[in-house]
Amino acid sequence: MKRYLLLALALLFAAIYLFPVYWMYATALKTSGSIFKYPPELWPSEPLVQVSRVFAEHDIGRYLWNSLLVASGITAITMLLGTGAAYALANARGTKANIALFLVIVLQVLPPSLMVTPLFVAFNHVGLLDYPRTAVVLATAAKTLAFYIVLCRATFTQVPRELKDAALVDGNSHLGAFFLIILPLARNGILITSVLVFLQSFGEYVYSRSFIATRELQTATVNLATYLSANSADWVGLMNYAGIYVAPILIVFILLQRQIVTGLTSGALK
Amino acid sequence: MNVDHPSMNQIEIEHLNKNYGSLQVLHDISLDIPIGAFVALVGPSGCGKSTLLRTIAGLETITSGTIKVAGEVVNDKAPRERDLAMVFQSYALYPHMTVEQNMSYSLRLRRRPKAEIDQRVGEAAKILGLEKLLKRRPKQLSGGQRQRVAMGRAIVRNPKVFLFDEPLSNLDAALRVQMRSEIRKLHKNLGATSVYVTHDQIEAMTMADLIVVLHDGRIEQIGKPLDLYRRPANRFVAGFIGSPAMNFVPAEITADGRAIALGAGALLKIPRAQEPGRKVLAGLRPEHLRLDGSGERLAATVDIVEGTGSMTFIEAKVGSELVNIAYAGTYETEAGAPLTLGIASEDIYLFDPETGRAL
Amino acid sequence: MLQSGFAKYLRDGKGFEGTLIVAAVLYLLVFAAFPLIYTVVMSFQEVDMFTLGTLVRPFAGLQNYTDLFHRPEFAPIVWNTVIFVTLSIAFQLTIGFALALFFLQDFPGSTYVRGLFLAGWILPALVVGAVWRWIFAGDFGVLNYALQSLGLIDGQIYWLSDPAYALYSVIIANIWLGIPFNMILLSVGLAGIPGDVYEAAEMDGANVFQRFLTITLPMMGPTLGAVIALGVIFTLQQFDLVAALTQGGPANASNVAQYWSWQMSFQTYEISGGATVATMMIALVIVVAVIYVRSVQREQSF
Repeated sequence: MKRYLLLALALLFAAIYLFPVYWMYATALKTSGSIFKYPPELWPSEPLVQVSRVFAEHDIGRYLWNSLLVASGITAITMLLGTGAAYALANARGTKANIALFLVIVLQVLPPSLMVTPLFVAFNHVGLLDYPRTAVVLATAAKTLAFYIVLCRATFTQVPRELKDAALVDGNSHLGAFFLIILPLARNGILITSVLVFLQSFGEYVYSRSFIATRELQTATVNLATYLSANSADWVGLMNYAGIYVAPILIVFILLQRQIVTGLTSGALK
Repeated sequence: MNVDHPSMNQIEIEHLNKNYGSLQVLHDISLDIPIGAFVALVGPSGCGKSTLLRTIAGLETITSGTIKVAGEVVNDKAPRERDLAMVFQSYALYPHMTVEQNMSYSLRLRRRPKAEIDQRVGEAAKILGLEKLLKRRPKQLSGGQRQRVAMGRAIVRNPKVFLFDEPLSNLDAALRVQMRSEIRKLHKNLGATSVYVTHDQIEAMTMADLIVVLHDGRIEQIGKPLDLYRRPANRFVAGFIGSPAMNFVPAEITADGRAIALGAGALLKIPRAQEPGRKVLAGLRPEHLRLDGSGERLAATVDIVEGTGSMTFIEAKVGSELVNIAYAGTYETEAGAPLTLGIASEDIYLFDPETGRAL
Repeated sequence: MLQSGFAKYLRDGKGFEGTLIVAAVLYLLVFAAFPLIYTVVMSFQEVDMFTLGTLVRPFAGLQNYTDLFHRPEFAPIVWNTVIFVTLSIAFQLTIGFALALFFLQDFPGSTYVRGLFLAGWILPALVVGAVWRWIFAGDFGVLNYALQSLGLIDGQIYWLSDPAYALYSVIIANIWLGIPFNMILLSVGLAGIPGDVYEAAEMDGANVFQRFLTITLPMMGPTLGAVIALGVIFTLQQFDLVAALTQGGPANASNVAQYWSWQMSFQTYEISGGATVATMMIALVIVVAVIYVRSVQREQSF
């Protein structure tokens, strides 16, 4: 009995915590008149689905597409450079490896809003700002790369070292042992970490806001922020926009919840 | 060992040194392993035996020296170019492959024809009794079965040399004894050169043709099992080989050079004359100390008695020194009881107290 | 098989893993370490719209720093940043720890429900900020309604436009964002304390409260250190929430250093000023990161 009481309490806590998410979707279903009722309606009295209207009105598809492009680019660079490095750092011992690992951890923690000034000036120099989305990808990947290496390294350390030795003795080169034996075994951790990187980059704001001047190339975060400061009374439109934006993230989260929790907990502190 | 005919040796190691940074873990190792021999590398943990094995496998680089396999220097060869098979302590089975895939992996890497692979895996499975397990994954196997798969993976390759890195240390005692004789039998049937690392001197004594005792990265002695037992080159080997371990008692050579004086006042005749008055360590094996007082005599007092039925272990005091005695059979006594111990003169070993060398 | 020495080195030697590390480290050096150094350099230069395009700029010595210290908004923003970091971490940690302890109890679905909290962690902070902005709304906001219903306040609070509340609004939203991360990390730490230690303490006569004080807290020490250090790091990264909620206003009432730095560089084009703030903040973050790495190492030897 006590156990179900605890479950009820847990659900209550979760409900309170997740209220903002609920409120976003509840508002999205209200009419523009009913949101200005006070006391507010906790449940929309005449729910109205306005997703497609808002979607078309604000050309959300274009900005989501930009976000998707940027996030894919970031994830691709991160996986390409990060997977091997994480593996090598999981194996390596000694001073050089410690320095590399320390460098990775320290570079992971630099706040983007502080790094953006020098990056902007440097990118301006080399002309990268003419390709603003590429600039965002390159800058953000430096951030996600470090995060990815730290988490993936934890995954690789869980693969026994002797497996690599066995593969080498069995006739693999280092290259072959990595691709045929180690990678398949670390696959789940790698995929989950990549999903986390993708979700993070999908919501990236600082670099996109600072590098992308052309409206058509803006990501959804930047566009939403612009909309937020320009039309701060259109809460129905804003909450619909926000709701559309985070829907794919929430779906991925619900599908992979268990793996994401394990992925984060196994590597978070190592 | 015959070193005049290099062609007789499968593996030749010359003046091998291995450093990790400033730390030297292997010191000037030279060792010849004849074709078809079963050689055990034995020593306490941290002595460098596994590192030595891994340098042979090519999993560790060497700092200086040469390693030859079948007469060819392999220093710069990758493990895959050395044609050696290895059985790991943790078995290192590929968890994402079935038993069959685990065993055939090396053959598939070498792009052997399918028929040949099937035939070789089948043969190995039959030898090891794994036929019914071929489709299983390592996770679904018991410890003993995993061990066999690890062996099977080595056998299918039909390699020049088998390397074993403490392959039995993860098994329980009964299974270990059984696998010991199976590995031995396998070696007899396959005839391939085997190098076997273990910290267990009993495993080394029962399995190997030749034992290499390592300590602190140096070879202490190389020899046949019983030679090591009968003629240990130094105090370390004497203490390491044999169970329970040899007793060491400080003593002094008498004026005529033909006996030793123990602290307790006993005089024991020694097999060969020594320099008179010299300080020595006398080595007395527990199983050589007799309770009937026959041979050279020394007085002792019982301290602790432990009987297992077939064996009785007595810890006794000779003067101020503690001495262990192993008696085959049941012997009833109690703490404080006086004993008269006896030992045959030729069973007394003498060592230099400083260098540890046998005298 | 013919292969060049280098190809063999890559395939079979130390070269393979070395190359992998070097590739990633090179990328990080170019896109993270170089900008880091460049910021420091710019904080000692006169950088404005005219010198932006050249590499050689006039050396300014410590002028940028003294200018910054003499700005009227400098002290308030530093103080805001201190309050922002301290309060955010204090509440994230307390609430996160309480939840972690709660979910440590054995009941059906505990892992799953605990996982639901992570939704807050994966949502883009900017979107979270937009939602909270609506919750905080003065006239029709649901937060004011809830507080009034509970009898905690009488009139409306204009959370985002009242200088007395603006900073705390941002802090509240930031606490919301940080709870899941704190909870999960602390859960991992709690799970690492072996159960028999508690049993032994119970046999020694310690009650629940004493067990928490004498076993849980001391054994969680290294984890708490790491979580606090990470909290400081993440709180100093928080930009999106400020941008979505208040943009530092009204009149810098809710401005914090990391936002101020960006404002100077990108809105008022005082690039040296932005670089100077960034340099000082980055120095702080790196110190915290070193503490973090050390406490993690301590934890692993625990």
